Amino acid sequence: MAKLSLRNISKRFGDTQVIHDFSADVDNGEFLVLLGASGSGKSTLLRIIAGLTDASAGDVIFDNLRVNRQSPRERDIAFVFQSYALYPHLTVRENIAFPLALDRFKGWHHIPGVSTVARRVFGSSKDIAKQVASVSSMLELDEYANRKPGGLSGGQRQRVALARALIRNPSMFLLDEPLSNLDAKLRAELRGEIVRLHRLTGKTFVYVTHDQVEAMTMATQIVILHNGIVQQHATPQEIYARPANTYVARFIGSPPMNLMTAAVTGGQPALGGLRLPAPEALRLGTGTVTLGLRPEHLTVSADLDGPGLAGTVRRIEDLGADTLIGVQPDPALGLNMWELNQDDLLWIRQTGQTRLMAGDPCTVMPEARMASYFDSDTGQNLASAGKDSDAGMLPARG
Amino acid sequence: MTTKEAPPLPEAAPHKRRLKAPGNRNFSKPARYAMLAALVLFSGFPLYWMLNTALSQDSELYGQAQGWWPHWERLADFGDLIGSVPIFKWLTNSVVIAGGTTLLSLIFAVLAGYALSRFKFYGKGAAGFLLFATQMLPEALLVVPIYALFASLGLLNGMGGLILANVAFTMPVSVWIIKGAIDAIPYEIEEAAAVDGCPRVTILSLVLTPLILPSIAAAAVINFFDGWNEFLLAKTFIAERDLWPASVGLASFIGQYLTSLNSVMAAALLFTLPALIFFLLVQRRIVSGLTAGSVKG
Repeated sequence: MAKLSLRNISKRFGDTQVIHDFSADVDNGEFLVLLGASGSGKSTLLRIIAGLTDASAGDVIFDNLRVNRQSPRERDIAFVFQSYALYPHLTVRENIAFPLALDRFKGWHHIPGVSTVARRVFGSSKDIAKQVASVSSMLELDEYANRKPGGLSGGQRQRVALARALIRNPSMFLLDEPLSNLDAKLRAELRGEIVRLHRLTGKTFVYVTHDQVEAMTMATQIVILHNGIVQQHATPQEIYARPANTYVARFIGSPPMNLMTAAVTGGQPALGGLRLPAPEALRLGTGTVTLGLRPEHLTVSADLDGPGLAGTVRRIEDLGADTLIGVQPDPALGLNMWELNQDDLLWIRQTGQTRLMAGDPCTVMPEARMASYFDSDTGQNLASAGKDSDAGMLPARG
Repeated sequence: MTTKEAPPLPEAAPHKRRLKAPGNRNFSKPARYAMLAALVLFSGFPLYWMLNTALSQDSELYGQAQGWWPHWERLADFGDLIGSVPIFKWLTNSVVIAGGTTLLSLIFAVLAGYALSRFKFYGKGAAGFLLFATQMLPEALLVVPIYALFASLGLLNGMGGLILANVAFTMPVSVWIIKGAIDAIPYEIEEAAAVDGCPRVTILSLVLTPLILPSIAAAAVINFFDGWNEFLLAKTFIAERDLWPASVGLASFIGQYLTSLNSVMAAALLFTLPALIFFLLVQRRIVSGLTAGSVKG
């Protein structure tokens, strides 16, 4: 049972502020993913939760108890490291039994020399052996029980690390990019494994990753961090459908959300002359906004006479089940995607294959109802929290 | 892997190359054995000649040319030698002194090496440098001040004092060896142990020490031989004949007017053996690389 609350956490290393005033509440049983590019402070945040690093300011609260001054051990957490951090001199079985054996240590067992014997004696006791056997069969490690970590593959090592975390039955699991050293296939496999463990244990998981696929597939909640500042804290679906700002819009999704400049007159946006239906609540006088559309919310056709944005097909990426089409919009439309979109291309996702070829002229039709609107200066989503109905846009500032 | 893109046929060549162990491909097997034999001869001959001399008689040594083959039948004469001087007593003293030096020095070195490797503290750089600086001063320079110090502390004429002095000279090297070994251990392993419930002492004894065992063994060899071979301090500090280590006892064979070469060699042989055995015991540890596979890499 652990409800995790973080209150105004800040961390600075010397002159660099790594985390700015971070607050979040995580209910028991949630799977929180801290997502961000490298250097975003996500690992530091996890280490602060674990007690491996001290916060410069702020409180870490487990179940209404401030744990700032407690050691990792006292916090009753399990930590899975990116580098696995197995004990190389112990067998798989001894590695998994290690935390349980240490649970039984009394003060004098820590005397050097005594501790070595005590670990062996406790580690091979019957009930610990039983627990080790059940956890290792759950993670399919039985046949490697007597091997040392050096003789295992990366995926097996990470499974041992998971087993070592699992056997303690901690109140919370903290995982620091546990899959990033593995190849794609193993990653997908272990992703499923971790989700299964989460369901099985019903414990709180906090998971750090830079991989949006891991975040989207595993999380019940995602926190997106950028330079130590929270960009958005929401469910994966929410983040995908209603990114809080242009950073999130560009960070999530592959290819990411297309961002274009749209002119607004009397609350009605227009994309390069193409008038879009006015979003219900976007009561904006006159000005420009940044309009965001996911690749799947654009359609492309070779029909040049129909309504839409004129452009030229530049790239075709056939992924099998669907095809990504990169279209360069007619510069005369003034969509100004500079810096925002890679190669200045509008990416369109289409199911199946396309007959279009690179170099073909084409027309792109946006699905206006799915568009997100961002402040063109601050990049914030104009629908603010976006908790209303699908197209429910709140009045913009100014 | 370049083989991935290569067509199947040209694969044969690199495969064949890989069958040979790296580094060996420059010499054929007989050539390697010949070189080994030369090395064994080079380093083993002095030992052999020691035995040969020990089994010769004075008249042979000073009169005619010494024979190539040892007179094995004189092996029994070793007994006379052992009876005439307390050589086993001296050897025991040597074991106590060398063993004590090694043990004490390693305990200090592991603790100091860990601190120098993992902690940030004021004067860390200076501490590391001072440890090195002790190696710049020759023992002979310090023997008189230490003698005076030990005299006032009542540490003369005892093995405890000698061990203490030896540790002061050998420990710095061990500290640096062990600091280097701990530097190479990923910090995450220690953090994992902390999460699993180890206080620092237990991290050191249960996790770190087994991982740096090869380096500890290497440091042990250096310390043991330093303690075993040490002469100057022992000769100066210990006057009582029964407390002499073998190194001092051995020197007592060399008389002012008469040196019985065969007795010296017989004693030297006995002096060499325990050290040789110690080395054989620990050398496996030195060679084994225990850290393989701890973290990715």
